[in-house]
Amino acid sequence: MKVAYFSPMPPERSGIADYSALLLPALGDRLDVTVVKRGRKKAPRGTDVSLYHVGNNPDAHAWIVDALHKEPGVVVLHDFVLHHLVAGMTVGRRNGHGYLDAMEREYGVVGRLLAHGVLDKRIPPLWESRPADFPLASFVLEHATGVIVHSRTVSDLVRASGFTRPIWVVPHPAWPVNQIAPARIATGPVIGCFGVVNASKRIPELLDAAAKVREAHPDVTLLLVGPTSPGFDLERRLQRLGLGEKGLVREGWTDEARLWELMAGADIAVNLRHPTMGETSGSVIRALSLGKPLVVSDVGWFSELPGEVALKIPTGNDEVVVLTAALELLVTRADVREAMGVAGVELARREHDLGRVAELYTSALEESVGGAAVADSVLREVSEAAADVGISGDAAEAREIARRLAEVDLGT
Amino acid sequence: MTDRLVDELCARGHEAELVTVPFKWYPGTRVLSQAFLWRLLDLHEADGRSIDVVVATKFPSYLVRHHDKRVWLVHQFRQAYELDRTDLGQFDDSSEERALRRKVQALDRVALGEATRLFAISQNVADRLERSTGLVAEYLPPPPQDLAYRCDGYGDFILSVNRLDRAKRIDLLLEAAALDSGLEVVIAGDGPDRERLEQIARDRGLDGRARFAGRVSAEELADLYARCLAVYYAPVDEDYGMVPLEAFLSEKPVLTTTDAGGPLEVVTHGTTGVVVSPDAGELARAAGWLREHRDDAAALGRAGQAVAAEVTWDRAIARLLA
Repeated sequence: MKVAYFSPMPPERSGIADYSALLLPALGDRLDVTVVKRGRKKAPRGTDVSLYHVGNNPDAHAWIVDALHKEPGVVVLHDFVLHHLVAGMTVGRRNGHGYLDAMEREYGVVGRLLAHGVLDKRIPPLWESRPADFPLASFVLEHATGVIVHSRTVSDLVRASGFTRPIWVVPHPAWPVNQIAPARIATGPVIGCFGVVNASKRIPELLDAAAKVREAHPDVTLLLVGPTSPGFDLERRLQRLGLGEKGLVREGWTDEARLWELMAGADIAVNLRHPTMGETSGSVIRALSLGKPLVVSDVGWFSELPGEVALKIPTGNDEVVVLTAALELLVTRADVREAMGVAGVELARREHDLGRVAELYTSALEESVGGAAVADSVLREVSEAAADVGISGDAAEAREIARRLAEVDLGT
Repeated sequence: MTDRLVDELCARGHEAELVTVPFKWYPGTRVLSQAFLWRLLDLHEADGRSIDVVVATKFPSYLVRHHDKRVWLVHQFRQAYELDRTDLGQFDDSSEERALRRKVQALDRVALGEATRLFAISQNVADRLERSTGLVAEYLPPPPQDLAYRCDGYGDFILSVNRLDRAKRIDLLLEAAALDSGLEVVIAGDGPDRERLEQIARDRGLDGRARFAGRVSAEELADLYARCLAVYYAPVDEDYGMVPLEAFLSEKPVLTTTDAGGPLEVVTHGTTGVVVSPDAGELARAAGWLREHRDDAAALGRAGQAVAAEVTWDRAIARLLA
């Protein structure tokens, strides 16, 4: 089967580019995959199915959605909330009408009025202020012949949005863990947080909690790895909390090798976020593979992680209190860290094995290409057999047969 | 296995009946439409009496609907899995056949996912299931058939008990006999590969050292087990295989290969048998060693007997119905 593969690729600094770099060799072992050059809007001749990786970043994904709009195919939906992408592809291209239409298609007249408010600068941009309330996923889903998602949460959201074509849940693949020399940045317990440093990653709450933990356990160090988002004043917050030279180690963007070393050297991996855009986290998958106990927000895909591998922090008023307690537990209980780490490695092996993920992709793509013919054929055989014994389409027996077919997903 | 299970359930005071539906898996989507027949069966009650539990064993019987569906998995529809794109495969490379194969897999995920308890007859079958569907099954081996198991000593011949088809790899044993003039083999069983195997025996000049016993009675089989030196059993990636346990109950070691799959769960090299690479020379050397070390062969067989003694219907049914 010939697959045209649309995705950002390294050296682009994008989680989805890293994802594709990991997945492609395993997928290439199973299918004839051609990676489409950035900016091209057509699949190569002879392609059986196009696979479009879509995330919320218009710089990385607008060209891919342009191609999707020209030729439908299977979409890998890395984020459910796509408002920023849609804004970039409409407002960002001086196509205000496109934005108005997109908002109206999904949210009716109210959506159009809100979009007018944004364009006229009467209200703040919705992609910054309320993206989760207006995900605009149909901008992409309308053109998808099927959708691959990484979590049941997003699968449910896609279905609830009215999408009726096939959805496949394919877990995020785990990176193979080779020999890694852990980079220990302190002698005491190290709480590591890996990814962009900003408010939606709950860095203010994490800083608060880490400062409280350090009051009782001054040997604890918080390690923040990743670039700081523009407008997020990390320095001022650190000064206010007294998390300075001793309590915190800061590294900006790091290459892949250094990231692994730092994560391997940490004792606990924290990965918080709110709001969620329906995304999964490559950092969490890495931490699982390394056997690190996790602390995550109790939202979206993160809620689906088993309790044995992650302590889940509810968002809301008690967030810092619960987070502090979770960190204290892990800082003081090596046995809990160990047990969670072992469970994490097992989860990565069982659920996120690269070969398994590539097999699930292959399965989804094969179903997407030939599935309709199979469904038609099964329905024809069953309905002919029913008709042979006098069961007509509107008979109660026919409805019973339809229910049984639906139970086992036959005929769809 | 299913006939015996029904008998054993009835012997323990349960009311049990075997339900079968003929299964035609070709051509094309017939595999799905025929499998779907199981879904239309209403086994919640019969003759006005409720049915407490159903036990399904293989594709497509586990599509049956029931509030307490136990699955004791013998095998999935292997053509859709590890046999795909082999000589034994069924689905070609057309997009419809590829999708059809995936639909069989999807059907397994749904139907097996409904099971209230999920067992597999071997760890090999359980591992395949987990790899293909993510579902985890408990290992529950079925006991071997009732025979008058005994040990009448350790004779000169290696016994093969198996259906004669290529996947059972009996030709490997014949090739080993060709390399070792002291190796005698008795091949019990019949099947489509018999003519080819007999031709190999003739071509290699094994007259008198390779005897094709054909289909044998229970008494004859017990007698062969009782008199042989060891039992050869080396199919490729077998689901499970009763033969090693039957050999063990006769206090005989098992000669097998590193790629045999299920048998390796009970045949451990140097403990209950001899495990070598799938190579005629290696097999010949192993058979020679057994001939020259009959006391060791007996010790391996006795160790095997202890393993087989653990696999009883009492235990199997207790777990199945727990």
